[in-house]
Amino acid sequence: MTRPVNVMVTGADAPVGERLVRDLLDDSRVDQILAVPWKVGDHLPRDNRLTVVPVDLSSSRRVHRLLFGAARDLNIDIVAHTTLHRSARQEGSRIHRYNVDAIRSLLTLSERHPTIRRLVLRSDAAVYQIQRDLPVLIGEHHPLNMRGNAPQWIRDRVEADITACTRMGMTPLEIVVLRTTEVLAPGTGSQLHDYLQSTICLRPAGFDPMLNLLTIQDAAAAMQRAVHHQAQGVFNIPGADTLPLTAAIRAWGRIGVPVPGSILAPAYRLRSEVTGHDFRYGMNRRRFHYSGVLDGTRAREVLGYVPCHPIRWPSHDGQAASA
Amino acid sequence: MPFPPAVARAIAQATVPAADRERLAGLHFHDAGHGYDAFGMHPDFVTMSTTIVRGLYTKYFRVISSGHEHIPQFGPAILVANHSGNIPIDGMMMWYDVLTHTDPPRVPRAVADHFVPSLPFVGTLFARGGMVGGSRGNARALLESGELLMIFPEGTPAIVKPFRDRYKLHPFRVGHAEMAIRHGAPIVPCGVVGAEEQLPQLTTSKRLGKPFGVPEVPIPAVPVPLPVRYHLLWGPAIPVHKDYTPAQADDPGVVEEAAARVQAAVDALIKKGLKQRKGIFR
Repeated sequence: MTRPVNVMVTGADAPVGERLVRDLLDDSRVDQILAVPWKVGDHLPRDNRLTVVPVDLSSSRRVHRLLFGAARDLNIDIVAHTTLHRSARQEGSRIHRYNVDAIRSLLTLSERHPTIRRLVLRSDAAVYQIQRDLPVLIGEHHPLNMRGNAPQWIRDRVEADITACTRMGMTPLEIVVLRTTEVLAPGTGSQLHDYLQSTICLRPAGFDPMLNLLTIQDAAAAMQRAVHHQAQGVFNIPGADTLPLTAAIRAWGRIGVPVPGSILAPAYRLRSEVTGHDFRYGMNRRRFHYSGVLDGTRAREVLGYVPCHPIRWPSHDGQAASA
Repeated sequence: MPFPPAVARAIAQATVPAADRERLAGLHFHDAGHGYDAFGMHPDFVTMSTTIVRGLYTKYFRVISSGHEHIPQFGPAILVANHSGNIPIDGMMMWYDVLTHTDPPRVPRAVADHFVPSLPFVGTLFARGGMVGGSRGNARALLESGELLMIFPEGTPAIVKPFRDRYKLHPFRVGHAEMAIRHGAPIVPCGVVGAEEQLPQLTTSKRLGKPFGVPEVPIPAVPVPLPVRYHLLWGPAIPVHKDYTPAQADDPGVVEEAAARVQAAVDALIKKGLKQRKGIFR
């Protein structure tokens, strides 16, 4: 019988990280859990197996202290890095340090760490390029979004992903990158969730691309599978919901209004300025025109991951209630 | 389309005969979770689309077709035909022909040029009917899930060719042959006769197509397609999946040879159709 593993979870104050911590607490294959939130909070459960150490990961010195302090003391075997900075409105060097330099530090320090043997990083489907002449079904070898004019939110995600990928196979450290599709939930940095907060959702006329969406439960389940598996490499993590944009708008109980594409960027820029919403049309323009659905074949075949928690759409809940 | 499937279903119920609706209820289809497949096809939109295409197929172009027994009833296959007519009515006629002559009905997944998904409304309507953008990844995924691909290996240059070049095949691109060998799919050739005369062309304009990413826009001599009679001739399947091993899909010589066999088969079917027909409109 294999001994239980000790796991460190970063981003433990974000929805996916918090859910992963809770799932690991219910997991008999896990002994100690080191939860690393950004700030002190009381959202995590109290448990003898759980240690909470708030750390600002944008500081490499603090990451060093965490790994060679609490993580070493708890004999952490596996690090699950679950989060990137969520807001697209905030940019700058500090955000970059949190998104990219933190991963670089985690990689470098884990490679020479006495107890850590495996690093599971949650990346994002936003790293993929979406355009009309690329496949709708996105495999792990799909071109990445390397456009120079992409916003920092995307550039950081691509850089973080590549930073992890370039270290694969270079040292005994096992590295897994999970490119999760968009988690449609509040607090996850979901652009679509923010978009759906308006009663009227403007969309480009004449286009209705296919989207794939994930739940917090499935994102955490994929992380949990990757924590326990031996496999390394990149895995796409799709969700259980594949549907067109208009169907998502309807299912969320919103009204979709088709408008010429050229007025969408200024309209949503104005919305962002006035109301503080996070959704930026320029960042989502291509996926509001062309379909992009993650192909989860590799995750299914290697990790045994199959999405099984569909989104609870407000309109479906309403129908069920009235029925 | 940007309207709900319920609307498509209602249109289909009002316009498609009950027997056809019942038959199409048994459509071969991979539901990705909300009634659509990952590429955006939806059975209710397929049924609704038959309303529009049926009239063109039976009344306007009065299609005569033969050789449906060569279309596999299940498993992956690639349907390959000549392309012409300035607008892709040939694809629509083939789509309807396959849909109505396979049992259970199969939707041929037309592989369109890159610019088609970027056409507003048209791209979405075609996607709901089963069209996919012309990328290798899309075709691979569909073949691996046992679907029927419909490919025009001459590409867009053939559809906008001048009237004087009718029934002269452009050199076939070889991607279809490579995919068939690699994924173990037979190729079913089809000769389309009639489409070449539907919309005689005066000239083409590259400038008009630029806003939509279309390479060339044809300027036809007539405002609407002429009511020519279409002849669709399906030929025996070319078993490239048996004649070559999947590893040979990487051999350029083998792939070119297989593509040449397909082109010769399509050319023979066109010649047969031209010989059989009694006139452009008959």
